[in-house]
Amino acid sequence: MYPKQEVVAMLLAGGQGSRLGVLTKRLAKPAVPFGGKYRIIDFPLSNCANSGIEAVGVLTQYQPLVLNEYIGNGQPWDLDGMHSGVTCLSPYQAVEGAEWYSGTANAIYQNIAYIDRYHPDFVVILSGDHIYKMDYSEMIAYHKEKGADCTIAVIDVSLEEASRFGILNTNPDGSIYEFDEKPKHPKSTNASMGIYVFNWDKLRKYLIEDEAKEDSDHDFGKNVLPAMLNAGEKMFAYSFEGYWKDVGTIDSLWDANMDILNPHVSLDLKNVYSRNPMMPPHYLGENAEIQNSMLADGCDVDGKLEFSILFSGVTVGKGAEINSSIIMPGAVIEEGAKVLYSIVSENAHIGKNAVIGGYPEDYPNRDDWGVAVIGDGIKVAEGAKVAPKAMIDKDVEV
Amino acid sequence: MSINKLAGIIFANLGDEKLPELTSKRSLGSVPFGGKYRLIDFSLSNMSNSGINNVGIIAKNNFHSLMDHIGSGRAWDLSKRRSGVSILSPYNGNSFENRIMALYQLHGYFEHLKEEYIVIASCECIQNFDYQKFFEFHLKKNADITVAYQKMSIPDNETAPLALTLDKDSRITDMLIKFGSGDECNMAVSSVIIKKDLLISLVKKCVSANTLNFRQNILQDNVDKLNMFGYEIKGYCEHIASIADYFRINMSLMSREVRKELFNPLRPIYTKVRDDMPSRYGLTSKVTSSLVAQGCKIDGEVENSILSKGVTVGKGSVIKNCIIMQDTKIGENCKLSYAIIDKDVVIQPNRSLMGFETYPIYIAKQTTI
Repeated sequence: MYPKQEVVAMLLAGGQGSRLGVLTKRLAKPAVPFGGKYRIIDFPLSNCANSGIEAVGVLTQYQPLVLNEYIGNGQPWDLDGMHSGVTCLSPYQAVEGAEWYSGTANAIYQNIAYIDRYHPDFVVILSGDHIYKMDYSEMIAYHKEKGADCTIAVIDVSLEEASRFGILNTNPDGSIYEFDEKPKHPKSTNASMGIYVFNWDKLRKYLIEDEAKEDSDHDFGKNVLPAMLNAGEKMFAYSFEGYWKDVGTIDSLWDANMDILNPHVSLDLKNVYSRNPMMPPHYLGENAEIQNSMLADGCDVDGKLEFSILFSGVTVGKGAEINSSIIMPGAVIEEGAKVLYSIVSENAHIGKNAVIGGYPEDYPNRDDWGVAVIGDGIKVAEGAKVAPKAMIDKDVEV
Repeated sequence: MSINKLAGIIFANLGDEKLPELTSKRSLGSVPFGGKYRLIDFSLSNMSNSGINNVGIIAKNNFHSLMDHIGSGRAWDLSKRRSGVSILSPYNGNSFENRIMALYQLHGYFEHLKEEYIVIASCECIQNFDYQKFFEFHLKKNADITVAYQKMSIPDNETAPLALTLDKDSRITDMLIKFGSGDECNMAVSSVIIKKDLLISLVKKCVSANTLNFRQNILQDNVDKLNMFGYEIKGYCEHIASIADYFRINMSLMSREVRKELFNPLRPIYTKVRDDMPSRYGLTSKVTSSLVAQGCKIDGEVENSILSKGVTVGKGSVIKNCIIMQDTKIGENCKLSYAIIDKDVVIQPNRSLMGFETYPIYIAKQTTI
């Protein structure tokens, strides 16, 4: 018998994130490093901890090794209670057979037993690919106040952007009357953030019904939410104000990292928890020149940094130049190398005088330019060049 | 593995008097070091990395910050079901007057230890040391007591170093307290391995004879009576014996070779973790030859200095040859040179503080200037 938890959070972390290319070759998207010492999943996990949610199920499927190891017993997020905490839930075999998670709703359906044992009133569905800080308890209070069956968090986006999102059209009281998935002519700018609060008894019923439908994709956005709306359940939109970014693409991941360095953007990393590598403070050598950058422990830098983020244990040689780039843990940038508008993954090695990426102003045709990405453990030979926008998953020779 | 027969004892207050300013409100073991560590982290991590499962920390006073730092011992992987770290403080209204009385009063703790051998250490030594090799040496020599030593010339400020005379077989034939600096000698560092039962019986004997000096009555008096050996420590090993040492040894971390050896990734030095963000450098920052921990925000100029967790340096400030401890806030246009600034100090804009290499000025915790 488990003590009752009023709220259980379910964090969808099984997606491959194929648009991140080499970055997710050996990692699930939520495990992608972010912001100098974090991984994307630190944001929803820390939000849970800071919202007083004590039971969190993390649904893993694609490349779970790093993610499972990282989450571990949940201690960094205070999610290591005796009868609660974080639990990694992967697909499993049962008497009826074995099944991968075939959709977001199916993933929750397969873990009804996990949720049931806490007898929750509410279940919060979260995803592991957004950067934001949110107090879910405020959203749950709103959900209770409205007497809703389902509440969906929305954020105001610009009209141009609206056609990239799922848009919710609402009545003046906040109740939802229509879902508009990626509309060509959006009626409103309330974009769904992929954060849902459900009454557990209602969600449970709809999950079981949806599972029985053969033509369903078992997806929340496509199937479960429309079914609830059609059946006349009380569904409300909860407006969130603050920083929120989907980091599903290379460009948005790079942008979100750069936002941390921008004093005009309201993304602060206080009370975001993570695992901390055991390394000494970082060292800046006598030739170091550091401006508007962020560095984690264990780095050794003797070059020039501008608008860049260095994760733990990065080495930058004398005369090397890094501009507007993100360098992930353990990477080595040798003397005289240039890394411009790039993402360099964990333990990559950039040889002497190599050049990675380029300045946007040097490419009059903007289609030729983009953020260059070097995969984890990749070696770029001395003097080699990697063009902007390239995505490298094999060693580069001269 | 034989190492499971070895338990660790760390004296957290031993040598407090060497750093009177820094230990006025804390034990030597909890004196900050190297931007993110406390002195005890070195002994504790070395023991943990050497496979020692049980560590007793003997603390006689000012141990609030120490207890806060150690917590459950989890950060050093010393929080196990059947073993881990214990803070051993005085009880029953007694205080630990010296090492022998502390060991004597804690005999209950020792009797319950299942380990057969004990390694005794203190906190003034900065090194990455393998106690397992030290213990293997002790067993191979079939020694009663093994004392770790370092070949070095006696430093100026070391008041009474214990010098070992050894034969070809590393057996200790004589042990003298040396005076006069500059002489080359085999200086004992405070690591000693001894069988638990032997330690208890020697301690009891000392207490009954009222001879209560650990070095004199446990080590020196037994040179002829017991099998005593010396184990040489090689590589980086520094002792903090004064505030000038403290300053110099902190600064030695600027050397890549020293950091590589001391912070060996295969044998990491652990410490209590704080959830700081990575450090931010602003558009007006200029930082060279410095060691900077996480959570700092730097908009000024920093040269040849150590900045601990959560330090801020305002625009236009110039900091040279300083050690700034955690969460200290330095305003705009300050000038600091050869200063050791303790935790949570606030330095208002336009202030200047200048010390000298051999006499760094010290600013106490929570001062506002």
